[in-house]
Amino acid sequence: MLISKMLHDKRRYRQYKARVKQLPENYRTAVEAIERYLMYFVPTDDDSAVSEFEDLAELFEQAASDETPIREIVGDDPVEFVETFVQNYTKGGYVPDEERKRLLRGIARAIEDEGVI
Amino acid sequence: MGKQTTEMLKGTLEGVVLAILAGQPAYGYEITAWLREQGFSDIAEGTVYALLVRVEQRGLVDVEKVPSEKGPPRKVYSLNAQGREYLDEFWKAWSFLSERLEQLREGGK
Repeated sequence: MLISKMLHDKRRYRQYKARVKQLPENYRTAVEAIERYLMYFVPTDDDSAVSEFEDLAELFEQAASDETPIREIVGDDPVEFVETFVQNYTKGGYVPDEERKRLLRGIARAIEDEGVI
Repeated sequence: MGKQTTEMLKGTLEGVVLAILAGQPAYGYEITAWLREQGFSDIAEGTVYALLVRVEQRGLVDVEKVPSEKGPPRKVYSLNAQGREYLDEFWKAWSFLSERLEQLREGGK
């Protein structure tokens, strides 16, 4: 599996997954859409890949406790948000267009569920 | 907020956030809220968060985890000496740019 190859520190990754599971459902939907998109970028090292997921969880945990609507977290352009975010951990990688659409669909689904739109 | 404003702000957001932190330590949500109050309504919290992660990695800010009443502890960011130096550079660059643009506007009249 790509993930286990990418992440030597499986324990930290499992902890991240457990944190995401604790989030309210629509925040979780958004995180999972972003997580999927992040998988297409090649991380510079394993530690930064894990940190990337931990930081993602932290952002959404904080946002969930502040009840920040998902649109205000990711902005009007979730692709741009994730690509800005990912630059902190990787030099970037190849992202197929289909994955951009999938990210947008995932975010749209999350927002629909919270009843903002 | 117009598209042009959003685009222009993007290039200066790092300096803007460091300037806010020069005034007082703050956590991510406070910074986003302040920017929104100032009329930068399109600013996403995630964008500010990603920026804070970046300036932390570059050693421009110090971070303290402060327990919050509800939810996880908040990371409170404050500008350190290296960040102040960087902010000085930013203001120099800004002065240069704004002076040149003003000249261009005067010249074009």
